[in-house]
Amino acid sequence: MSQLRAGEELLDIADQVVERVPAGSEAEVTVTQTTSALTRFANGGIHQNVADQALRLRLRLIRDGRCGVAEMRVAGDDVAAALVATAEAIRSHSPNGEQVPLYAPDGGADTSAGYSAATEAVTPEQRADLAATVCAVAAARGQRAFGTSETGVTAVAMVSTAGLRRSARHSTTELIAVSRSEDGSAYGARSAADAAQIDAGELAAEVTELCARNHDAQALEPGTYEVVLSPYAVAELLEYLGLVGLGALAVLEKRSFMRFGERLMSEAVTITDDVSRTELAPLPFDGEGASTLPVTIIDGGVCRAVVHDSVTAARTGVATTGHSFPQPNADGPLPRYLCLAPGDSDREAMVAACQRGLLVTRFWYVRPVHPLATIITGMTRDGTFLIDRGRVVRPVRDLRFTQSIVGALGEVRSVGAERLASRGYFGAALAPWLHLGAFTFTS
Amino acid sequence: MRDIADRLLDAAHAAGAAYADCRVVDRTTQSVTVKNGRVNNVSQFADQGSGIRVLVDGAWGFCGTQRADGAGLEEAARLAVRIARASARTSVARVRLAPVPAVTATYTTPVVVDPFTVPLDRKIDLLLAVDAGMDVPGVTTRIGSLGAVRHHQFFASSEGSRIEQTIIETGGGLDATATSASEVQTRSFPNSFGRQQLTAGWEAVEEMDLRGNATRIAEEAVALLSADACPAGTMTLILDATQAALQVHESCGHPTELDRVLGFEAAYAGTSFLMPDMLGRFRYGSDHVTITADATSARGLGTFGYDDEGVPAQRTLLVDRGLFSGYLTSRETASRFDAPSGGTVRAESWNRLPLIRMTNINLEPGTSSLEEMVATTEQGVYLETNRSWSIDDRRLNFQFGTQAGWEIRDGRRVRLVRNPLYSGSTPQFWNSCDAVAGAAEWRMYGVINCGKGQPGQIMHVGHGAAPCRFRNVAVRPA
Repeated sequence: MSQLRAGEELLDIADQVVERVPAGSEAEVTVTQTTSALTRFANGGIHQNVADQALRLRLRLIRDGRCGVAEMRVAGDDVAAALVATAEAIRSHSPNGEQVPLYAPDGGADTSAGYSAATEAVTPEQRADLAATVCAVAAARGQRAFGTSETGVTAVAMVSTAGLRRSARHSTTELIAVSRSEDGSAYGARSAADAAQIDAGELAAEVTELCARNHDAQALEPGTYEVVLSPYAVAELLEYLGLVGLGALAVLEKRSFMRFGERLMSEAVTITDDVSRTELAPLPFDGEGASTLPVTIIDGGVCRAVVHDSVTAARTGVATTGHSFPQPNADGPLPRYLCLAPGDSDREAMVAACQRGLLVTRFWYVRPVHPLATIITGMTRDGTFLIDRGRVVRPVRDLRFTQSIVGALGEVRSVGAERLASRGYFGAALAPWLHLGAFTFTS
Repeated sequence: MRDIADRLLDAAHAAGAAYADCRVVDRTTQSVTVKNGRVNNVSQFADQGSGIRVLVDGAWGFCGTQRADGAGLEEAARLAVRIARASARTSVARVRLAPVPAVTATYTTPVVVDPFTVPLDRKIDLLLAVDAGMDVPGVTTRIGSLGAVRHHQFFASSEGSRIEQTIIETGGGLDATATSASEVQTRSFPNSFGRQQLTAGWEAVEEMDLRGNATRIAEEAVALLSADACPAGTMTLILDATQAALQVHESCGHPTELDRVLGFEAAYAGTSFLMPDMLGRFRYGSDHVTITADATSARGLGTFGYDDEGVPAQRTLLVDRGLFSGYLTSRETASRFDAPSGGTVRAESWNRLPLIRMTNINLEPGTSSLEEMVATTEQGVYLETNRSWSIDDRRLNFQFGTQAGWEIRDGRRVRLVRNPLYSGSTPQFWNSCDAVAGAAEWRMYGVINCGKGQPGQIMHVGHGAAPCRFRNVAVRPA
């Protein structure tokens, strides 16, 4: 695969588009180049193995109060002209009206702190070696390994007639391992910006040990239990909390649970969106070119702020926090780098302090049920264990939970000191172990 | 396209591939959204590239490239072969492919009016009229959208197949949201998830009558704010056709994917409770339940001429009058059972590996009707339009929520109820089915957000369904 183009080269491509827009137009061009590769293994061997590279151009064109958006993932010398022609054709058929203004430069720095050259250099053979390590460790314990070894690099450049001119790149690497025995399974994952930080042997040892203990699971009566949640499960709670209530549009449209200044969660809960955490492979700006800023969302259990794009910021009379999807959009801003502040506990101390509860490795198929009340449902998966009087006593069959996230975070008994980075659907999260006093399982 | 395909196959062969196939894709997607009386977004996405898949030493490699020049295509083919060699170092069993005859063929979605020929201002005018229809007191957010897809693809294999297809999709939908201090209620039409979509032309949008349903849907959203909570208990449940379609999708479509059964998705999408030794013996549902995978159904999002392995579109029985009868298969998975492929392999785009995906998974029509089902129900609920869906990784333990419900007493719908949920276990649920509406109420629906695979792929799939009734189901409010 060809080496990723440098930021200057992507900016030049964007310039070529801007140069072609009709006189008097406002234009915003985004150029995104992605290189990704993923090796997938199942039943102890590689069964799917892919790579791809793509360059995508997006133009937002505004003139005479009309807006047109065109995107192309097309090769060739005439792409810039085709992109402008398509956007102009759409613009000319669109009605006259108020448009989302182009974002004026805010002077933010274009760091590529979330980029690692080592990740970009990973070869198919090295990805296969990571898979082989996990498969071998599992096989040595009589288990079968499943999972993925993935690397990717994204470079983004934005140029606009409003003076915007930025570029950055980030890299992601993730190793996911699931180990399965005849009647049990276990899950683990590591993600980072730098592939050199992934230790396949350490992850395989964790997962195979958990799988060995997840044997002969028995059914447990649904009900409300204490829970000790792994960072994987906590990251899922954070992502869905962000989805249903931590974007400013949800507040403006009265879909969010947030009540600013009120304490809705335990004092131990501080949630930030922290673009400075390099392990989350952040990009320094958002879909309209605004610098992404750290935001303290929940501070000691008290609702403080939500994330904004330029549209919600203007409606609210504040500055954007740089959490926009490409404009215009109907979805509004969402957090991308959610972090739950660490406490001083750990998994062992949480289990010891748990009278009767469940140790949950992972949630699965989580969906909102009542977004305003932050009620979600989902299943446990790949390792759920009963805790009785401070000891993990046996594995239990997977259970369905239906639970308010805010309600759960109002019952925090302790927070882990160490945190793990996890990739999510919209970004990434940094989460510790968490001991909650009440969590409702419904079937 | 043909030249690109030939170049990819030649380069793969020269690099050592024992088998290769490729897809050269030119896809255009158009989207129009109106929100709260204003055009929110009008956009078009053109996407061109090709994907080359190779077998070397019995192991797969795949590479997607945007480049169409000779050097770029050869680089992609060589990388696919290098990746396959890396796979072979840690593969478990050599891949075998079920045989398929080489064909030269074309297929084009039959349409009356190509959606890309309809002027944008006409689409915008329709959505603005729909938006005005939803502008009733109490509604806080109104969204209308239209979408169109043209997917032009050339498939070629080293076994000699050359297949050119053009798939056209058209869709539209509306959402009205009303809010109070304690409730957010959204009603959608014709379906949730943004819109209803079919392989059809603009005529599909005109048939929806979005304008004629806008005010009714908006008023229902407002009414739900003050509606009573859904009753709780074990009761009779009647599903509208859209929710029945999603129930089929989650609890029959996914668990009959043979790659899941073989563990290919165990680390991500999950496995299945439907094991091969259950074929022809396991009572999946009642006699009323017949489910097919039918890529030949008219207008479904899983309707095509050939799948992405060059296998002809076909109709397969998955559940035959309650009996578990078949799987969705690929050439690789079918070969494990010395069977021909069921032709259900598709890729989201040129840069993604083709996987087993649902085609049109249809609940075949029965003999009842919604009116008759309600009239013969003493106590229960009728639920419409999905709002929430979740199911375990083996596809047994599910919980669904819908946007609206109506309590039924003594054969009549007596009141609107809010936030209904129902839950169950797949075979028990389908075995409790005692009625499916007939062909007059059977409709084809599109699901445009079906996720599977790593890297993730979002596929458009179809479901024909009709209202249906289930006894003794756990129902409660959210």
